[in-house]
Amino acid sequence: MSRHDLIKPVLVLTLLLALVLILAVSFGATRVSWNDDTARTILLRIRLPRVLLAAAIGATLAVAGVTFQTLLRNALADPFILGVSGGAAAGAAIATALRLARFPGVVPLVAFLGACGATAAVFLLARRRDHTDPTRLLISGLVLNAFFSAVILISFALSREADLTAALRWMMGTVFGATWTDVILLSSLLVLAMLVLAFFANDLRLLAFGEEDAKARGVEVERVKLIGFGVASIITGAAVAVSGIIGFVGLLVPHLIRLIWRRDFRFLLPLCALGGATLVVAADALSRTLVTSAELPIGAFTAILGVPFFLSLLRRAR
Amino acid sequence: MIWGAGAPPAVPPPPRRHRPGAGGTAGEAPAPHLLELRNVSYAYADAIAVRDMSFAVGERQLVALTGPNGSGKSTLLKLIARVLAPRQGEVLYEDTPLSQWPAKEYAKRVGYLPQDPDPAFPMRALDVVVSGRAPYLGRFSWESPRDFEEAERALELCDAGHLGDRYLDEMSGGERKRVFLARVLAGTPRLIVLDEPLAALDLSHVQQFSRLLRDVVDRTGCTVLFAAHDLNWAAAHSDRMLVMQQGALALDASPNEVMRVDVMRSLFGFEAETVSIGGRTWIVPGNT
Repeated sequence: MSRHDLIKPVLVLTLLLALVLILAVSFGATRVSWNDDTARTILLRIRLPRVLLAAAIGATLAVAGVTFQTLLRNALADPFILGVSGGAAAGAAIATALRLARFPGVVPLVAFLGACGATAAVFLLARRRDHTDPTRLLISGLVLNAFFSAVILISFALSREADLTAALRWMMGTVFGATWTDVILLSSLLVLAMLVLAFFANDLRLLAFGEEDAKARGVEVERVKLIGFGVASIITGAAVAVSGIIGFVGLLVPHLIRLIWRRDFRFLLPLCALGGATLVVAADALSRTLVTSAELPIGAFTAILGVPFFLSLLRRAR
Repeated sequence: MIWGAGAPPAVPPPPRRHRPGAGGTAGEAPAPHLLELRNVSYAYADAIAVRDMSFAVGERQLVALTGPNGSGKSTLLKLIARVLAPRQGEVLYEDTPLSQWPAKEYAKRVGYLPQDPDPAFPMRALDVVVSGRAPYLGRFSWESPRDFEEAERALELCDAGHLGDRYLDEMSGGERKRVFLARVLAGTPRLIVLDEPLAALDLSHVQQFSRLLRDVVDRTGCTVLFAAHDLNWAAAHSDRMLVMQQGALALDASPNEVMRVDVMRSLFGFEAETVSIGGRTWIVPGNT
């Protein structure tokens, strides 16, 4: 396929994202208005960063998902199954139990370290001699997830009740209280990660044919795998640190995109970023506008929005 | 466009190394081997797969690699395709050890078809074939129209021109095989390494495939090295047969010298009879 085949899908998804962004900014507890100072402040300081952060998180998780799926040659792979999000959650839970939640920035930092630690652990467990086996990686991720669940439960049992609410909210995933700093940090990291992945995109799409095949085509397989997993894990860790656990995006978006455009990694990478951003922005908009008395978890809405769409596509595709 | 007459490689090939004992002056140097193995051994964790193999292959040859199941054929092909690195000895391509070849440059010259190639996700046949051009692509670059021409020509050659727009997961085993052979050919390699290329083909495609291999060799001067457990087919469609037994090279001979009752008994472990049809020898299981 050539680069030109990408123009139309990118345009379509960009328009869709733009539309969803505009709607998400317009709707909310306060009406948008440029003439009213309060409304303007709410728009610029609260709603805009929140909507943009949702976009960055969606793009990040979807990009991480499609990278994991390509590397593992498995459509079930995503940041959760590999234990990356579990590691982050366990880190955050431990920090909460140790009453570190009152210091700003500590929980995200520990969560990020937890994500990186989980990746390293999964990799070490799956490594045999000079080779990393994709099936062992998936199994290691599953086993570690069970361990992380135990850590989270024990940490919660030891936490003060006052801290628990915040911890639970974080576990459910939220972009409440997003700041411009969050937006800028995560977006820059995402752009950087996508550049690195694009640099290795030709290698990554060959890896989908199997490691031996890729090796015979001149791909430095172990290096590309290490870089791919490293980048996908770091951006997952960053997204989870900022927003808690927003499920389903990393798994669902690459699937959705593949159901419409059955193409290789080079093609999927930008489309997944756009699709992920659109899904999470829409989910966040729903989560804060459907019920006025409470903020509903975004993760629930990514599933509620994604599943019917996914099922209808699945039915149409034979 | 002439088959195999691709654009010159962007990076010049590494300098040819003079082999010990070879004539030092350019005029007297013997014709270089395309591929040479020197005392190559490879072992997996629990078993030796290839022992001390040495042989050389020139240009314009159709070489069959045979041997009983588990004799190390696939491992040997992986060593040649640079999927595995020898534990001992060395593999040389154009007299240069594989370790000294830049990976992409080697991939342009040597095309490898594994036994069960499989893109993990649904893909269009033409996209699969054009991915055979990957060694020619730079960072951030996509296939050019020229690459697509090459891919479509390779599909035509494999009698699969009509399959370009179909998806691989909707194809029969034989159709997939032809698409994957086209993928190898799209890279215009000088040495084509095929691991059991016939496994999923019906008889008419086996015949077509054999003609195709011969055609490619004749027209481009490239060399094809294929593993096959079907002796009759291997003998009928090769110039030379390498027989492996327990990881070692047991016989390196012309098809007529391999297709004999005593060879079948000693190397393949079965009693055979030979039938001669049209000047060609066929092996059939004996009655004993």
